[in-house]
Amino acid sequence: MSVFIKHYRPCGLVSGFNNKIWRYNSTTADVATSKNEEDEEFRVLDILKKRDRQQRRVARRADVQPDRADRMAVDQNWGNVWPGPKSFHPSSVPLPLRQGYVPRGQAPPGKKANAELMKIPNFLHLTPPVIKAQCEALKPFCTEWPKLLNSEEAIEKHYPVEIISSDYCHASPSIRNPLARIVTLRIKLSTLNLDKHAKDKFIRLVGDRYDRETDLVTITADRCPVKKQNLDYVNYLLTACYHESWNVEEWEKDKTEDDMEYYDWDKNASKKSLVNWYLRTKNENRELTDEEYVAFDISEIPNGEEYKNAVSNYLNDGESEVTVKNYAKSVRKLLGLPEAKVVT
Amino acid sequence: MLSRNWRHLCRRYSQAVTFRTTEASPAQQNEKQIGLFYTMNQETCKQLFSQGGFPKSFQKQTKTFTETAIMIRQPALDLINCIKSSDFNKPAIRYVLYGEKGTGKSLTMAHLLHYAHEDGYLIVHVPWVSEWLRRLPRSKEMSNSQTHEGCVDLPLDAASWLLHFKGQNQHILKTGELKVSKEYVWSKREKTEAGAPLAQLVEHGISRVKYACDVVDALIKEIKTLSHNKQCKTFVAIDGFNSFFYPVTRLSTPTKKKVKPEEVTLTTTFMELTKNDWTNAVILLSADQLAVPDDHQESHFPRYLLYKKGFEHLDPFVPVEVGRYSEKEFLSCASYYRDRLWLRGPPEIDTELKFTSACNPYRFMEQCAPL
Repeated sequence: MSVFIKHYRPCGLVSGFNNKIWRYNSTTADVATSKNEEDEEFRVLDILKKRDRQQRRVARRADVQPDRADRMAVDQNWGNVWPGPKSFHPSSVPLPLRQGYVPRGQAPPGKKANAELMKIPNFLHLTPPVIKAQCEALKPFCTEWPKLLNSEEAIEKHYPVEIISSDYCHASPSIRNPLARIVTLRIKLSTLNLDKHAKDKFIRLVGDRYDRETDLVTITADRCPVKKQNLDYVNYLLTACYHESWNVEEWEKDKTEDDMEYYDWDKNASKKSLVNWYLRTKNENRELTDEEYVAFDISEIPNGEEYKNAVSNYLNDGESEVTVKNYAKSVRKLLGLPEAKVVT
Repeated sequence: MLSRNWRHLCRRYSQAVTFRTTEASPAQQNEKQIGLFYTMNQETCKQLFSQGGFPKSFQKQTKTFTETAIMIRQPALDLINCIKSSDFNKPAIRYVLYGEKGTGKSLTMAHLLHYAHEDGYLIVHVPWVSEWLRRLPRSKEMSNSQTHEGCVDLPLDAASWLLHFKGQNQHILKTGELKVSKEYVWSKREKTEAGAPLAQLVEHGISRVKYACDVVDALIKEIKTLSHNKQCKTFVAIDGFNSFFYPVTRLSTPTKKKVKPEEVTLTTTFMELTKNDWTNAVILLSADQLAVPDDHQESHFPRYLLYKKGFEHLDPFVPVEVGRYSEKEFLSCASYYRDRLWLRGPPEIDTELKFTSACNPYRFMEQCAPL
C-alpha cells in the first residue's frame, strides 16, 4: 500500500520534500526514525534500585595468607607446636586428615571446619619423642627400683595394700580439684591373716566391696575434705574390719543352716534323707537324733561318698547342665539304676 | 476322585515305614525305635486320659489327627528301663522330669502312664497340680477342713480327681481284691468298714463331695499300706509337682487371706504320697516352668523350680531331662506332620522350620499350624 501524504513545511527545501514523499511508502520505518529523533529513551522508575545494587556487589579479594600448616618446616619440634592436650585445630596440624560421613563416590570431608575431628579426643600431645623427653626430664627426681621386687608376685607379697588416688594439674584460678581427695584401698583377701570364721565374717562386713572372682577387697573413701584424711580413714576401716572379724560375739552361736555361706552336706537335710533311705533299705526302723545324723558314717553306704560330693557340688556351684547330670549319675549309682544312655 | 484316593493311599503306605512303628506296647519298645511314632489304642487312651493327662494342645491335635500317636523318645525308654531294673523291695524311687517349656515332659509322663497301665500298676495320677492351686474357675469351692486344723479343702477338685482315679483304675478296682484296712467313720450314719473294697471308698468320696478330701487322704494312706504289703504295685505320676512348693497359691479364704500350699489338705496328702517311706511303687514327678507364675520361670532346672523345701523333700531323686528334638526325631516328626497334612509345602521348608523352632517340639507344632 502506498500513501501519499502531504507534508508541508514552511521554508523547506523542495528536494527534501520530495524525498519525504518517497520514503513514506513504508509507514512503520517512519515511526521509528521519528522517535529516535525526538527523545533518547523512556525513563524507567527503578524502585528497587537494581542497577545500583549490582554495582555494589563487586567482590573485593582480600589478601589471604597461606595456611600455617603449609608453611611449617619439615624438621620442626612437634612438641612445641602442640605442647598440651587441646581440641583439634586444622591449621596447626600439617597432616592431610579426613574424617566424617562419606557421600557416595566422594572422599570423606577434609580437616578444615570439620566438627568430627574436633569432637574426638586426640593424643597429638603424646607423641613418642615427647613422652621420651618428659621421662628424661623426670629421671633426676626418681630413685632406683629395688632389685628384689623384680616380679608382680614379689611386689604383691611385700606390698599387699594398694592405694589409688589421683592428682590433678590445671591452669585455673584455683589449683585444688575436689576429685583429688578420693582415696581407694585395694587388698587381696588371701593376704590377710584370717581363719575360716574370720574370713566369713570379714566378707559379710565388707559386703559388696569384696569381689569373689578376683579376691579383691576395695574400700573407697571420699567423705573427708583432704586426701590425707581419707587415706587415714581407709586404713582405719581396714584395721577395724580385720579386728572385728576376729571377734566372736555371743549371738553368732545362733547361726542356723539358712545363714550358712556354703552348703555343708553333713549338717543338711540331704544327709538325713540319705541315712533314712539307707536304714529303710536294710529294714531297720529307728529314729536318730540330729547329732547321730551328723555323726553317721556314710562310708558304709555304697556310693554314698560320691553322692555326697555330687549334692555338695550341685548346691555350692549352682545349677547347671553339668551339676544336674552329675547328680543324676551319682543318684543312679546309689539307687542301683542303669545309667542313662547318651542320645546320639 | 479316584486319583485323589489313590494319592491318599500312596501317601499312607509309602511313608508309613519311615516314621511309624507298630510296636504299641511301651514295655517292648527299644532304642531302635527312638523317634518313631506309635499309636495308642483308642480305648486305653480314653480310659487313661479322658479326664485330662495330655496337654491341651496335644488333646486338640489328637482330635485333628484322628489318632493318638506318641513319639518314642529317649527319656521315656530310659525311665522304663530304670523301672524294670529297680528293686521293688527297696523304698520307692522318685524320678523328676525336667526340661524347657514345651519339650514334652507331660507327654513323656503320658507314655509312662501307658506303660504302667499295661504293666498292671495301680495308677495314682494328678494331671496338673496347678489346676487345684492356681486356677480359679467360678465354680471353685473351698471349705475349712473338719479334720485338719487350719487347712482348706477343695472338695470339688478332690471329687473330680477321685473320678479320674476311678476311671484310670477301673479294671483293678472292679476285681475288689484291694481292701480297706481299717474303719473310717465319716459321720454318725456314714462309715466305711474295714475290709470293704477300695472302690467303695472311692464311690463314697464321689457321691459325698463334702468328704472328698478326707476320702483322698484315706485312699492315699490305704494305697500306701496296700502296696507296702505287696498287695498291689503303684505308679504315682504328678505333673507340675513344683506347684506345691511355690510360696503362695491363688486361693484366698473368705477373709481374703492368701492360702499357702501347705494349708491345702490335698497338698499334705500328696506330700505324704511322695515320701520314700513305702515300697513297691514308682513315683514320677515333673518340675515344670509353666506350673508356677512368670516371676519364677528363669531356669528350668529342678532345684530352682522345687525350691529348697521341695529339693529336700525329694532328695535323693533321679532327675531325667526331656530335651529338644534330635536330628532324627525332628525329621520323623516333620514327616509325620506331612502325613497328617499338618505341614505342607516344599521339602526345603523343613530346614527353615528346624531353625526357627530351634527343635522345640511344641514350637515346631505351633509353627506348622498355619502352613
